[in-house]
Amino acid sequence: MGVAALALFKIENLIYYYPGAEKPALSGINLGIEEGEFVLVAGASGSGKSSLARVLAGLIPDFYGGRFGGRVYFQGREMRRIDRRKLARQVGMVFQDPEKQLVLTGVEAEIAFGLENLGLPQKEMFRRVAEVISFLGLTELRQEFTATLSGGQKQKLVLAAVLAMQPQVLILDEPTSQLDPVAAEDFFNLVKRLNEEMGFTIILVEQRLERCFHLADRVVIMEEGRVVQDGTPDQSARWAAGRGGSLIPPVARFFSALGFSSLPVTVKEGRRQLRQLFSGWSLGGGPDFRKAPDSPLTGRTPLVGVKNMWFTYANGREALQGINLKVNAGEFVAILGENGAGKSTLLKIMVGLLQPGRGKVMVKGNDISKNNGQHPGRQMAYISQNPNDYLFQDTVEDELLFTLKNFGMEDDGIIDELLEELQIGGYRRVNPRDLSSGERQRVALASVLVTRPELLVLDEPTRGLDYRLKAGLGSFLAGRAAAGAGVVLVTHDVEFAAEYASRVIMMFAGRLVSDGAKHEILGHSVFYSTQIGKLCRGFGDGILTFGEALEKIGPLLSGKTVARAGTLK
Amino acid sequence: MLDKLFYKEKGLFLQSLHPLAALAYLGTLLALALAVTNPLYLLGILLVVALAIRAADGLEAWESYLKIALFMMVLIMIINPLVVHAGKTIIWHGPRVPVFGRLTISLEAICYGAAMGVRLLDIISVFCLYNLMVHPDKALNLFSRFAGKSVLVISLATRMFPAMIRELESIRGVQQMRGVDFGNGSTKEKVRKYSSLVNILLLSSLEGSLEIAESMQARAFGSGPRTCYTRNLWRPRDVLCLSGSAGAMGAGIWGLLHSFGSYTYYPQLDYLISGPGTVAVLLIVVLCLSVPVIIDWGWRRWHYLKSKI
Repeated sequence: MGVAALALFKIENLIYYYPGAEKPALSGINLGIEEGEFVLVAGASGSGKSSLARVLAGLIPDFYGGRFGGRVYFQGREMRRIDRRKLARQVGMVFQDPEKQLVLTGVEAEIAFGLENLGLPQKEMFRRVAEVISFLGLTELRQEFTATLSGGQKQKLVLAAVLAMQPQVLILDEPTSQLDPVAAEDFFNLVKRLNEEMGFTIILVEQRLERCFHLADRVVIMEEGRVVQDGTPDQSARWAAGRGGSLIPPVARFFSALGFSSLPVTVKEGRRQLRQLFSGWSLGGGPDFRKAPDSPLTGRTPLVGVKNMWFTYANGREALQGINLKVNAGEFVAILGENGAGKSTLLKIMVGLLQPGRGKVMVKGNDISKNNGQHPGRQMAYISQNPNDYLFQDTVEDELLFTLKNFGMEDDGIIDELLEELQIGGYRRVNPRDLSSGERQRVALASVLVTRPELLVLDEPTRGLDYRLKAGLGSFLAGRAAAGAGVVLVTHDVEFAAEYASRVIMMFAGRLVSDGAKHEILGHSVFYSTQIGKLCRGFGDGILTFGEALEKIGPLLSGKTVARAGTLK
Repeated sequence: MLDKLFYKEKGLFLQSLHPLAALAYLGTLLALALAVTNPLYLLGILLVVALAIRAADGLEAWESYLKIALFMMVLIMIINPLVVHAGKTIIWHGPRVPVFGRLTISLEAICYGAAMGVRLLDIISVFCLYNLMVHPDKALNLFSRFAGKSVLVISLATRMFPAMIRELESIRGVQQMRGVDFGNGSTKEKVRKYSSLVNILLLSSLEGSLEIAESMQARAFGSGPRTCYTRNLWRPRDVLCLSGSAGAMGAGIWGLLHSFGSYTYYPQLDYLISGPGTVAVLLIVVLCLSVPVIIDWGWRRWHYLKSKI
């Protein structure tokens, strides 16, 4: 009884079906969470981690309905018997997309919204709003409209609105999936402070593990609605490493692949471990990845050529300044840069959706910058940030046929081919709006690829995807590039760019800052580098990806460990 | 481009008024503009509104309103004399036209058209002033005590609006890239193309609304009786402005009851100033309405006044 009384949450034999679902979203879950703990819930898309978060927040089954079995206790009382208002005072939840959580037009009113719902007196509301605004440093934004805030500021505001209700527990469901890396980092630092300095109990559901693995006291891993691993970050990292390691940070994955028993989860720990092993060694030889790959395709007419191009928005903001750029067939180009650097604008101009103010945009030698409103449609495929922008037909097949029909083309087997290749063949007759977000994105991709375009342009396609889906997308796009198409994408995900792209462009404030082969650009950057790159800096230069690190450092290290093990005996 | 039409917090005196005082002021301006017919009174109100817009740092925004208002004003001045034949002073006999009959342009009809144009200008400018000086949240806040749910719906709608415009733009681009040509085709085809745009927007919004509802539920919405958070402060300046509005309203009503402020256009134009009463009431109304503008003038110059009101 003594131990049970300590647990803040206690879940016993939980099973849950969403309304109309045949498969349970959660099943056989037994879990206890103690006060003040920082619990990271990891797992692939569809593993039930978001559903678990909603159970803990009291939204399942209250808000969703469905069939529910087992018991969930909060502070020793069965959750379904707790008054909703009381529960909301104790448990706060932040969701994925800040855009879909803000209700009011003004910042201050938004923070007060939950307090009004709780029916607090005016004086108490004043105090709490003031406290939260000062704690989160939102004073400057107090009078702003929510619509004018950046993504990171919006998510901070959502957090403020929840914190004002002074909950004991904070449940975060992929809170940074829609944010850029810098804003995400800020957000996690804040969450860490809330846990360490304010004693909040934190339950964080995440896919981008390299940023939060080390913050947690405990890592719970889910698969197909079940908890398959529950332990300290170290234990869970080792467990996941044994299962292929897609859920753990690249650093831990690297050491696990080399057969180490203790797995570092941060760059700092990893480098310490490397330093100990390499003391007195200098690395030489091995393949140098920084050497630019031969490109037999130069000299031909580029797929897209942008010459001294400028673009100014109607409000006078110069979004692009003097851009020069060529993309050849067979290239896989990743464009990196912070928000507002002009990346999306550049993409839109490349596909002809926007007309440049000055300069030329050549598509296979034809200038498209002048023909207003005309777009080189079928030669180019464009995927916007939101796959939902594509989906409105009754079935997946109709989505593909819609594009074909608009260009007056026939289905010559391309539909079968694409559905097969993108692994959505089984959903041919399904309404695309019934699919998961990863599947929706693949339908959107298929709907623009039916014209066999020579250039693929994608705006932040990796946003919100888990490791597995990202890997699938990356190899699909790399395959397209290898088959002779040009691929250009904007991403915030350096790891993704390093793994799959051949060339990297960095943008800052409307200009191209650097452009070259990926090892040349990312290998020289301190901040825009991969976790593996940061780990190996100084030990072996030009290493960016897990595979390269294994290839170059792996043999040396394993030799070394064997030698050590020998001397120890 | 559009954003200058919306409220922006600039820390101005007029923006610091309590929403009740601000709405009472704007309401008085609107009511008087609708009630008086004397062109001098209409011009007086226009003058006050123009000064207030200047005080609210909104001349640039007013320009965009004026473009529409002046165009409509000219339209009224042209159409009114063409269709109204009540005036006695005929200045031009035109030919016979099928619908209108014989065209006769009277001086009275032109004057009436001009006066109504000024009234329209008054009304549009008052709305411009509203956008410049009242934070929409504050105005809604005033009503949320009695009509909480409706206010929330309005607020949600205003919040979603800019995001939806952005989304529509993105969907349009996507459709273009999928081969939909919005420039070509018959009207029927165009309607079909645009309706699928709206269709996508609607589907996405419906999905989004579920997420918003969930977030509201998680923040205890609908869990019991609500209270209302307000940060509106009542200062001496609000008393002054409210008294100004009340004075203008009182003088205006008194004037109208004693037929100052009203004016006869047909069949023949009356004297513009029928006696000293007309001028006196006009001066009182304009002066009372100028209270916020005058205080603003002083507020910018004297710290003493700033600290006292």
